[in-house]
Amino acid sequence: MEIIIDSTLDNAVERPAYFRGSGHLVFGFLPPSGFITYDLLRKYVRAVLSTKAACDDSFWRTLLVPITIGILGTSVNVVPLHCACLERNGNGLLIAGDSGVGKSTLTAALTQRGHALISDDWTYFSKEQSALVAHGLCSPIKLLPDAVQFFRELRELTPVISLNGELAYEVDPGRLAGSTVKNSSRPCRIFFLERTFRPGCHFVSYPPESLREFFEKSAERLPDELVAAKTVRSTIIRALSTLPSWVIRTGEGPQRTAEAIDQFILEGKYAIA
Amino acid sequence: MQSLEFSHYSDPLDLLRRFIQTPTKATYRVDGARVGVETNDFTLLPELPLDAEFTGPCALEWKLIRDADSPGLLEPPMFLTSATLTVVAMGTACLLGLDHETHKLFGFIGADIDALTFQKYLVPFLCRMTKNVLSGDPIGCFVSWSHDSAHV
Repeated sequence: MEIIIDSTLDNAVERPAYFRGSGHLVFGFLPPSGFITYDLLRKYVRAVLSTKAACDDSFWRTLLVPITIGILGTSVNVVPLHCACLERNGNGLLIAGDSGVGKSTLTAALTQRGHALISDDWTYFSKEQSALVAHGLCSPIKLLPDAVQFFRELRELTPVISLNGELAYEVDPGRLAGSTVKNSSRPCRIFFLERTFRPGCHFVSYPPESLREFFEKSAERLPDELVAAKTVRSTIIRALSTLPSWVIRTGEGPQRTAEAIDQFILEGKYAIA
Repeated sequence: MQSLEFSHYSDPLDLLRRFIQTPTKATYRVDGARVGVETNDFTLLPELPLDAEFTGPCALEWKLIRDADSPGLLEPPMFLTSATLTVVAMGTACLLGLDHETHKLFGFIGADIDALTFQKYLVPFLCRMTKNVLSGDPIGCFVSWSHDSAHV
């Protein structure tokens, strides 16, 4: 990765994030005024940044590193998948589900119950000595404006437009009482979240092939040039789909659902391999 | 400047727009070399001599995508060059990438870049990139390039 610092960009017009790609090449503008290119085949990144951005810790933490891992990750054996990850007692817990189903609010509620947060929106998977490892980037939890009804702490905050254009609260996990943050964990179980109008929380075993299909279908499309990256991703998804997993159908709010998950784990209605 | 009407592309699994179809294809002669062009917008076919007589591989391929969601006009170009790549950004209105080894050039052209601007400013720019990469001097090609010449 090569970073070029250009002080003339300090006074350049600010731009929103904007990325485009073709085949193995990806490039784009990185707010406030940087420009970056990724060569996914040669595993090479080149960026021009303003002095201000290069010296700004939050720019690296919330923009440059997450975007770079998101774009380049699969080419360097780190696979980004759309799910949250938490950990308690050394056991990683993944929360998957369709967009808008409430993964982030459930994640926030679980952190309040003592689960350490690894990641909220995107989790980055790698294999270390044949074991799956889930990594997070210490990014803030992104909660949609209606989450204020479940978390009083949000009243002190103002929602902002996030990178994907959504209006959301970006909450430092430390703001939620009881929250701790970890960098990585070994995933042991997966809960696939579904909403229902039926009161209560119901757990149903989730077949590996359905889980595999979900992750395959919800992952970014990769061009044919990136054969190795496609293979790595399929391997990781196959490994993930062998973990014990359940659909949790909930008609309850996030706190009650989090409590039900804890109860389900506590009662040991399953065994971790 | 009036924006061209062009359909917006939306695929939540293709945020980088790598899979936009480019069904319009033609081959041209650029300085004696055969260049294939494919695009999703016929107004992005360059006004260059067509090469209909020969078959076989092209020396270089251009993939030009009309990007309906990229507003704005051309800005002075910003270059990022390495031994294997040349990338040029003229604001979000025009992003170009050229792989020196695979001889593939791709570009995203914004909705506000009309056909005249494309033919008058961008086609000569693309030809110059093409000639230089084919002559084995892809990086040096921009040394003499005037920023003003691509500024509309």
